[in-house]
Amino acid sequence: MLTLLQIELKKILPYKTFWVIFGLVFLLIPGVFFALGQVNPMGGKDMFSFPNVWNNLTYLASWFNLLIGMTFVILVCNEFSFKTFRQHVIDGQSKSDFIVAKILLMVVLATASMLYIFIVGALFGLVNTDNSAGLTEGIMYVGVYFIQALGYMSVALIIATLIRSTALSIIIFMLSILIESIVQVIIGIFSTAGIENYFPMEIIANLTPNPIMEAITVNQQAMQAGMQQPGMPPPAPIAEAIPLSTNVYIAVAYIIAIWGITYFILTKKDIK
Amino acid sequence: MYHKLYKLTAILNINGISKTYGKVKALNNLSLQINQGEVFGILGPNGSGKTTTLGIILDVIKANSGTFTWFGEEPKKESRQKIGSLLETPNFYPYLNARQNLSIACKIKNVDDSDIDRVLDIVNLLTRADSKFKTYSLGMKQRLALGAALLGNPDVLLLDEPTNGLDPQGIAEVRTIIKNLAAEGKTIIMASHILDEVEKVCTHVAVLKLGNLLTTGPIETVLSKQEQVYVVADDLNLLKVTLGQIDGVSNIKASTSKIYLMLENGKDSAYLNKALFDKGITLSELGVQKPDLEANFLEIIN
Ligand SMILES: Nc1ncnc2c1ncn2[C@@H]1O[C@H](COP(=O)(O)OP(=O)(O)OP(=O)(O)O)[C@@H](O)[C@H]1O
Ligand SMILES: [Mg+2]
Repeated sequence: MLTLLQIELKKILPYKTFWVIFGLVFLLIPGVFFALGQVNPMGGKDMFSFPNVWNNLTYLASWFNLLIGMTFVILVCNEFSFKTFRQHVIDGQSKSDFIVAKILLMVVLATASMLYIFIVGALFGLVNTDNSAGLTEGIMYVGVYFIQALGYMSVALIIATLIRSTALSIIIFMLSILIESIVQVIIGIFSTAGIENYFPMEIIANLTPNPIMEAITVNQQAMQAGMQQPGMPPPAPIAEAIPLSTNVYIAVAYIIAIWGITYFILTKKDIK
Repeated sequence: MYHKLYKLTAILNINGISKTYGKVKALNNLSLQINQGEVFGILGPNGSGKTTTLGIILDVIKANSGTFTWFGEEPKKESRQKIGSLLETPNFYPYLNARQNLSIACKIKNVDDSDIDRVLDIVNLLTRADSKFKTYSLGMKQRLALGAALLGNPDVLLLDEPTNGLDPQGIAEVRTIIKNLAAEGKTIIMASHILDEVEKVCTHVAVLKLGNLLTTGPIETVLSKQEQVYVVADDLNLLKVTLGQIDGVSNIKASTSKIYLMLENGKDSAYLNKALFDKGITLSELGVQKPDLEANFLEIIN
């Protein structure tokens, strides 16, 4: 296992493309977050303070998670276009080594992103929090962000393994959300069971809920409880949302299933 | 020959392997045994199934039927780690230099990084070891792939068209490398469509055509590498019958004017002349002909 990870690091540490994309992501996340705070009519302070900072920051970072997923598409497709996966098998790796190595790599990348988000969030929070809210309040959003990163990279893994061409895989990865929405609409027409709400890209995306929608839901729940809060907009009718905890369980199940299916796909094909 | 010094220990056994791609039958029920110390050539024209065969025994191509064993065991990754392989094209990360690329191969094969400079030296790439792979010329890429196959000094080498893309000097160098390895007693399996190459370095050969095994065996038998002797006498029929009774004579073939034959090692034309004379036949002509490998090969594959 350790050897597999060492090999993965030997491949990516000298890889410029990888550093450029990750560098951009790591620069843009705090940059854009800060800029959004300046244009926010409610003021940056509210947005940056504990516990709001965790939900706000992870929601913003989730857009960059897509970029990390795309980087992962490139890393996996490289193994096919350089034929290095074939060479690794020839040299004495197994197909399962390939999957395990990529899982280890995505865990490392997701951990690095999570730690970075934690540091950025902690700094913003510590500077901007005046009330008594502590750093750990709402910190579970950071853990959920980690699962989301794993989720996007797992989807990247299976798309890259299926398609193998870098350009096409990136396009399909980007379009996967759109493709899924279309399928969801079609299924929604024919079925009333609501299964369209449990599709993988949506489940993964919903791991970092939109903070504005969250606020509305909270407000609505509060109203239903008879505690009308003044100054809030009237509640819009919202489709029954899946609770975040359930969402996490389903996402983890999807991720593990994707790993299994990817392995199955690999064993069925010749290695070209 | 050196391969005869070894006891026959099977390194690779292929039993009835077939592979089809859609309508193309790339391999048809191929069986082969390759023993320790042999330099085994797989010879055949383009598209005859050489790479398919090597791909199957390296576990990157799935056969439709048939089995194979390495070192008498079911195929597993540990066996492949003990084999130095070059299959079809050199496969490396273009953005890494030679050392970085070989270091990855070392990790997979459980070989210490200190072996890298040794193999780079053998393939004459030491001075370019820190250049990125993508800056290499075709021949340099091929050399690096050969170097990667030599990592860990494996006892078995599997080389698919090892001189592909090399200049004449490179070709000669690679052949020398292979001959030296063979002299160390290593088992080498080599695919090639170049008769000359197989003839120069191999001890054994299998000839493939359109996925069918045409013939296999020691190279001197398959390609009739032995010199041919021809004899002429007044009564060719009597001569032919008599030749059949002489010890050490084989492959007797009659043409309209001559009879061709082969003599076993240690027997020369003087021996033949005397043996025939003792049986009452006087030869009007006796000669030795260099073998025409090209003709033999074409005869096999047509
Ligand atoms: N991936 C593939 N898809 C379809 N057909 C294939 C594939 N790989 C090989 N073939 C076919 O299988 C046959 C054998 O190919 P193979 O590559 O084994 O030949 P070869 O003996 O190595 O030839 P060469 O000397 O040109 O390298 C050919 O007819 C080829 O077209
Ligand atoms: Mg070939």
